[in-house]
Amino acid sequence: MNAIVNSPLFGILLSLMAFEAGVLISRKWKHTLLNPLLIANILIVGFLLLTGISFESYNVGGSYISVMLSPATVVLAVPLYRQLSKLTRYWKPILAGIFAGSLTSMACVIAVSKLIGLGDTLMLSLLPKSITIPMGSVVSEQIGGIPSITIIAITITGITGAVAAPAVCRFCRIKHKVAQGVAIGTASHALGTSKAMEMGEVQGAMSSLSIGVAGLFTAITAPLILAALS
Amino acid sequence: MRISLQFAIIVAICIAGEILHRIVGIPLPGNIIGMVLLLLLLCSKILKPEQISAVSNFFLSHLAFFFLPPSVAIMTVGDDVLSKWPLLLFLCIAFTLVTLAVGGFCTQFLIRRQEYREAMARRSAKTSKQGAER
Repeated sequence: MNAIVNSPLFGILLSLMAFEAGVLISRKWKHTLLNPLLIANILIVGFLLLTGISFESYNVGGSYISVMLSPATVVLAVPLYRQLSKLTRYWKPILAGIFAGSLTSMACVIAVSKLIGLGDTLMLSLLPKSITIPMGSVVSEQIGGIPSITIIAITITGITGAVAAPAVCRFCRIKHKVAQGVAIGTASHALGTSKAMEMGEVQGAMSSLSIGVAGLFTAITAPLILAALS
Repeated sequence: MRISLQFAIIVAICIAGEILHRIVGIPLPGNIIGMVLLLLLLCSKILKPEQISAVSNFFLSHLAFFFLPPSVAIMTVGDDVLSKWPLLLFLCIAFTLVTLAVGGFCTQFLIRRQEYREAMARRSAKTSKQGAER
């Protein structure tokens, strides 16, 4: 049995089955809270804890999947390239808004972490939580955070954005379609963008653009901000 | 382009990003440098999006799957961190709401300011033109 559990195929099969279950569940009930990645994560962690199989055994196969993180991040250039043409008349407000949102997200994490004494590891893990998972997990690793915490924080952030974006826009009187899209993409990456696309075409396009720009901006500034503070 | 060639291009870009990070010493993660390299190739029209679409579409449409094993690594994080989950959940939600509000508010404010200035510029151009006609 050990030989099977420690074979790469075990982790790969477990990941595929859990993810497929996650996708099926989220499609069936179509609720934003039912995120495929979160469901699959809970299924695998639950399975491993129940059977007593170690994370190391699972990750023999899991690491084969993780190798693909690098190409998965690189191809994000394709949607970013397609969206860059949307930076037309309002390119200055759009870029300034994305930078303001990204800085706000990082400033909140740093200020509150220092204030309540959350500890450096958690602060660094939460710092890139508003950007898309591929970029956020490598940024977290680079600055000394724990990527698994970052990935889950990013997912929760995305779900929050998707659920709360229309209410926040109403409450703060953010009525301009471009501004709504920028807010959603900057604060809650691809998960929020699905909601932005429901709100309208302009919001969807601006949100998609903001994902890539906010990700790049955060990747570049996060280490600089940390260096400036230390 | 054949899928094997498309994939080779993407992996070569990944390795180029790693080299620029580790050997040249650019202080950005290798993956992100790779993304910027691909963006530059696309913007300079050396590479067309259609030429790598099979591989890019595959990764983009199954993006979350590749992050499943790294997310399961949460099991290996100590209980001292995991026991703080209600606080972390609250912070994630609160920070997201603030970021949404500030990002949207700033963008809207700047758009309105730009529209106002453009309207003023148009009006003054109009009046000076009328003045010249008189």
